[in-house]
Amino acid sequence: MSHFLDRLTFFRRPSEPFADGHGITTSEDRRWEDGYRKRWQHDKIVRSTHGANCTGSCSWKIYVKGGIVTWETQQTDYPRTRPELPNHEPRGCSRGASYSWYLYSGNRVKYPLVRSRLLRLWREARVMRTPVAAWASIVEDAAKRETYTSRRGLGGFVRAQWDEVTEIIAAANAYTIRKHGPDRIIGFSPIPAMSMVSYAAGSRYLSLIGGVCMSFYDWYCDLPPSSPQTWGEQTDVPESADWYNSGFLILWGSNVPQTRTPDAHFYTEARYRGAKSVVISPDYSEASKFADLWISVKQGTDAALAMAMGHVILREFYLDRQAKYFEDYVRQYTDMPMLVKLAEQNGRLVPDRQLRASDFADNLGETNNPEWKTVAFDETSESIVVPRGSVGFRWGEKGKWNLEEKDSEGRDTDLRLSFAMSHDEFANVGFPYFGNREHDHFQGTDHPDVLMRKVPVKRVKLKDGEALVATVFDLMAANYGLERGFGDPNVAKSYDEIAPYTPAWAEKITGVPRDQIITVAREFALNAEKTKGRSMIIIGAAMNHWYHCDMNYRGVINMLVMCGCVGQSGGGWSHYVGQEKLRPQSGWLPLAFGLDWGRPPRQQNSTSFFYAHTDQWRYETVGIEEILSPTAPAGSWDGALIDYNVRAERMGWLPSAPQLRQNSLDLAKKAEAAGLEAKDYVAKGLKSGELQMACEDPDHPDNWPRNMFVWRSNILGSSGKGHEYFLKHLLGTTHGVQGKDLGETGRQKPKEVAWRDKGPEGKLDLLVTLDFRMSTTCVYSDIVLPTATWYEKNDLNTSDMHPFIHPLTAAVDPSWEARSDWEIYKAIAKKFSKVAPEVLGVEKDVVLTPIQHDSVNEIAQAIDVKDWKKGEVEPIPGKTMPAVAVIERDYPNIYKRFTSLGPLMDKLGNAVKGMAWNTQHEVELLKRLNGVVTEAGASQGLAKIDTDIDATEVILSLAPETNGEVAVKAWAALSQTTGLDHRHLAIPKEDEKIRFRDVVAQPRKIISAPTWSGLESEKVCYNAGYTNVHELIPWRTLSGRQQLYQDHLWMRAFGEALCVYRPPVDLKTVKPVIDSKPNGEKQIVLNFITPHQKWGIHSTYTDNLLMLTLSRGGPIVWISENDAAQAGIADNDWIEAYNANGALTARAVVSQRVKDGMCLMYHAQEKIVNVPGSEITGQRGGIHNSVTRTVVKPTHMIGGYAQLAYGFNYYGTIGTNRDEFVIIRKMSKVDWLDTPNPDQPANLDAVAKLEAAE
Amino acid sequence: MNVLKALSALLTYPSRELQEAVPEIETILGSCANISDGARKQLRLLTQSLARDDLYELQERYTDLFDRTRSLSLHIFEHIHGESRDRGQAMVDLQNHYAEHGLEIDTSELPDFIPLFLEFLSTLPPSEACDLLGQPINIITALGERLVTRESSYQGVFQALVSLSSAMPEREAVQEILARPDADPDDLEALDAAWEDEAVQFGPGAASSCKDEITAKVRAGRRPAPGVQVASNKPVIQYSPGGQNA
Repeated sequence: MSHFLDRLTFFRRPSEPFADGHGITTSEDRRWEDGYRKRWQHDKIVRSTHGANCTGSCSWKIYVKGGIVTWETQQTDYPRTRPELPNHEPRGCSRGASYSWYLYSGNRVKYPLVRSRLLRLWREARVMRTPVAAWASIVEDAAKRETYTSRRGLGGFVRAQWDEVTEIIAAANAYTIRKHGPDRIIGFSPIPAMSMVSYAAGSRYLSLIGGVCMSFYDWYCDLPPSSPQTWGEQTDVPESADWYNSGFLILWGSNVPQTRTPDAHFYTEARYRGAKSVVISPDYSEASKFADLWISVKQGTDAALAMAMGHVILREFYLDRQAKYFEDYVRQYTDMPMLVKLAEQNGRLVPDRQLRASDFADNLGETNNPEWKTVAFDETSESIVVPRGSVGFRWGEKGKWNLEEKDSEGRDTDLRLSFAMSHDEFANVGFPYFGNREHDHFQGTDHPDVLMRKVPVKRVKLKDGEALVATVFDLMAANYGLERGFGDPNVAKSYDEIAPYTPAWAEKITGVPRDQIITVAREFALNAEKTKGRSMIIIGAAMNHWYHCDMNYRGVINMLVMCGCVGQSGGGWSHYVGQEKLRPQSGWLPLAFGLDWGRPPRQQNSTSFFYAHTDQWRYETVGIEEILSPTAPAGSWDGALIDYNVRAERMGWLPSAPQLRQNSLDLAKKAEAAGLEAKDYVAKGLKSGELQMACEDPDHPDNWPRNMFVWRSNILGSSGKGHEYFLKHLLGTTHGVQGKDLGETGRQKPKEVAWRDKGPEGKLDLLVTLDFRMSTTCVYSDIVLPTATWYEKNDLNTSDMHPFIHPLTAAVDPSWEARSDWEIYKAIAKKFSKVAPEVLGVEKDVVLTPIQHDSVNEIAQAIDVKDWKKGEVEPIPGKTMPAVAVIERDYPNIYKRFTSLGPLMDKLGNAVKGMAWNTQHEVELLKRLNGVVTEAGASQGLAKIDTDIDATEVILSLAPETNGEVAVKAWAALSQTTGLDHRHLAIPKEDEKIRFRDVVAQPRKIISAPTWSGLESEKVCYNAGYTNVHELIPWRTLSGRQQLYQDHLWMRAFGEALCVYRPPVDLKTVKPVIDSKPNGEKQIVLNFITPHQKWGIHSTYTDNLLMLTLSRGGPIVWISENDAAQAGIADNDWIEAYNANGALTARAVVSQRVKDGMCLMYHAQEKIVNVPGSEITGQRGGIHNSVTRTVVKPTHMIGGYAQLAYGFNYYGTIGTNRDEFVIIRKMSKVDWLDTPNPDQPANLDAVAKLEAAE
Repeated sequence: MNVLKALSALLTYPSRELQEAVPEIETILGSCANISDGARKQLRLLTQSLARDDLYELQERYTDLFDRTRSLSLHIFEHIHGESRDRGQAMVDLQNHYAEHGLEIDTSELPDFIPLFLEFLSTLPPSEACDLLGQPINIITALGERLVTRESSYQGVFQALVSLSSAMPEREAVQEILARPDADPDDLEALDAAWEDEAVQFGPGAASSCKDEITAKVRAGRRPAPGVQVASNKPVIQYSPGGQNA
């Protein structure tokens, strides 16, 4: 009998074993889960992300219960990638997961706050006076002004009403504009990409009133100037998904799992797929765990390592054997075949500038910009030709600016890389060597200052006689010190010889065994040869924060370029630092800088600005002679670092703010009275001395910045290098500066800048900060405005780590009195429009701007540097001095302008990176989308920009990345210049229009646009340089190719025409103070390294209870076991780190992870949490930047020279800080400074007495 | 209660295996004293037919009756909840009830499928099984009566279930079910009428269209809050006269 009925047909008993008996089912009571269910109940989920300073752009679900944000979890609905490529999620990290803590935390800024002393003065003045007059009565009375400026950072805030604070701000702004000029109002906010509308709110207000937006990417030193130098591009990198396509990955000073947490999975996946991984990092970082080989390089010597690797690559893939892929790549895509003139100098030859068509008798047939067209030797015609693509073809003609292997006439070319086989002779050429300079902490070699090398050259007939010329390739090979069989006695015969730049030489400098150098270089190149460029180098901030960072970077870039990796999927240069990929950039620019109402906006490079206005220049320790090249061309290379900045400003290379000592609102009238155009009036006035550049006397009260806005930023607690100088000079409050200035020590003073014996203290009349948390900057501000958190506003967010555009969405309304940045600046604009007519009407503002990159002016001085101030040339605006424009400011209508899309979009269209197109269609679309202003007045009939969502629609509609129709127009514009049709890249998406609600529904992939050099397609991941290589669009450099030879006069003067190793500079901040204040403890001097956080994103989260709990609850400094033992420091001891710049207090983390000789302090740990007083300064311990000071570099000031021309956050001085050394010692007494001070309520009587005394 | 398992088997889709199991089934049915004579007669006809007839013919008959005729659906909640969205939660509750008894559904069938339900009952102690079988007794009765009209020997299964149950059908409720349209699946007009969407009404008289929502709310309100202790003998299958959405 069968047992049909004994069997269960429909059921199974789960207790039956499963998974081959490995599984068990238990049946205990699970009602405890209901507790969680209740915990996880919610009313709604809203998509948002984390705004200002994290560039992860991760999608998060924000849970709201009863109108309260309760928690967040990772969203996992990114659009899929394609078959065989991992998807983007999971994205997110512990920091993002703890963000909701901030919304209701004790550290939330809940109400508008004003320092009570200021508010008291204001209310008293306001009784009898109109707003502007009231403000004038306060700031024009030095004693009154000092009562609040001197108390910055010392508490004493009271609540105020929005109406009142906006009136104070509006009155201060109006007063400043009338009295000093609009360029005395500055605003600092970083990384617009991460919340672009919030950024635009402030920058739009500032731009409309003529204020100055301060740069950030260069200031916090994430801008690698080597990128603009080489590619004419600020920074463009592969998305993280492209790591997966790589076969060989080097992590060089990058700590991916810790600082690129949401993207780290791609690295794991790439390794799983079989990619080899090398991690180069002095310390055993978290990333080192990814490594097949961990290379522990001595910090600050990366260039030496890269040069030695380049040496091996050239030896084995170019000289011993010629890798065809590499040769074809560098011939077409780099300046290696371009010709360089050799110049006689002190009896030897040195490389001079690249030859131009204009050097030849008939300009080689070129009539348009011949002095901006580089030349090369063509093997086919056996003659010198003008290859297409150089910057001379970009402007003034059409159709030849491309990278086809053709000459100007359209003939096919085959450019010669080397004259080794066809030389006329060998020349002895000198190359500068800096590796012999003395430094207490960095080992060098004793090779001569100038290394002589044999170079194969040709004799060429030029306009002004015969000259010896060499190819860039031959010069590079000589500079790398390669033996080529030319009978050169100076070059190394083997890798084991200690001569620049062999592996053995590098071993001595970097401490890395030569075998490791040779192996990595060889495998890196071999992989690239076999895969056509799929070798990649991922770089973090570490290498860029050194004074000579360009050498670190160019060393690495050379390796990548030699191996044909740039512009190839899975390959290239991946600099992930302060990612600045504002993908819909061209849609955002008009909104952010008010380009719809007036052009150009005022923008300033922050490094030079803060160097001047926090008076860090007054303490300069680095002399020009310490950085000048032994092969510097003849000239007067004198003066101080700030002198070079002043020269750069007056020649129109770098921007100036404030611009002129004179009020820019008065100039137009004066010009008119003189019967001159404004530009001629300014040029004439500067020449005659009637007008003065403000930069020549930054300490004169006429030239001080007066009002400063900080939003989405914690400049004083995070990026403010030289923190103590900020406190002393810009703010005028208590500070910890220990060193003496040039006057006190009697050192050489600058030549171009007026010296005042007493440095000013307290340049700012008003510091206003918008934040959601009471940061260090808030603590030092006069007015703190409570802003919406990232879960309380609508905005947009893009990253370079992935190709999606992502929203911030208001899950709940801003808590307490908080408002979104957009609403705050709108309110200020409204109040300003009301207050301004007291002193301001419709005004004409004369605006000076530097020569802009990607504009026709970028080709300013081709051959020489001529300074009008020295009488070498006439001041010609936009050519030899800043450009001059007149802009109409309608001060009573700032609010109306703020809230509508101005008429210039219709009239002038839109433009980005040298491409321009018409936008009438998009303006019409916006009118229908956002509605039209019906109210009579200045904005009637224009599209509204009332809400933050209206603002997002402006960005999305105008940008090619989010509006396919615009993308096609932009590609068409570029096609005209290149003569190649690129429209096919966007035509399939012509009808696609991404709108705010679309990205709220799901993040959307952007549309390929010529703003960027990579593509978004179904076939490749985003990778920088891809369209240069595959669409033959030139790089935006002098030669149109990847520019490896930097021939500008200043580059040659400072020894950086070619990449060389330069040891860190000596900042001399230890000796002056090391014995000044002994406390009985042992001291040790260590290099001060400040990498990115594990428990925070910059300073954010470092005051977050959850993150503090995971770390040590306050600031920490990591030191090695050996160094700790030497200084008698045990783990968790309170220590102090100090030098001439100031001091900071922290706990010690003693760890094997750290390399001897350096200490490591995660940057931007807030000084508002768990920071005791310093024994050195007597003040509360500082932040990491209390021991740093900005040192600017002349090569970063170059302008008007193709890729070396100014762009906001594109080129300029950078705030390096890793060359710094500190003295570390155990604290003998930990003082929490917790006794009341006279400003606290307990001592109100004391205050009253003080005031009575005043 | 092997008899319930046997009845469950009889209501499954005819297969070669079922045909072969007929003797086993007959033995079980024969040994059960509680089945009425009328039912026993019909069951005999059914088992004979199963054992004898061509499998395709059997399957065709089964499909016609139970798959294509809505009013004979073997899914209990079809007759209780109809199109109401309560049906989903009712199935979840029923499934949980099975789980509480240590059983997981191991086929693609829904929890309210009568043969599945019967199999579940067959695993319970007889008194409990008879009790629970009483809950849908009105529906079982009505289905049996409809099969009488169709002169199908499957009626025997339902009649047997009625006689096994400890509950008595309520005549009024059974009538109410029987009063619902019982269209021939091949009568296309009737089929259209049965599936036609109800016209949406606005204004006076429209309130009745909200009944579904209200029912859902009431039902949700009755459902215990997480963590709240409830009596374990809650009814699994609720039926009250007055309409399938009540």
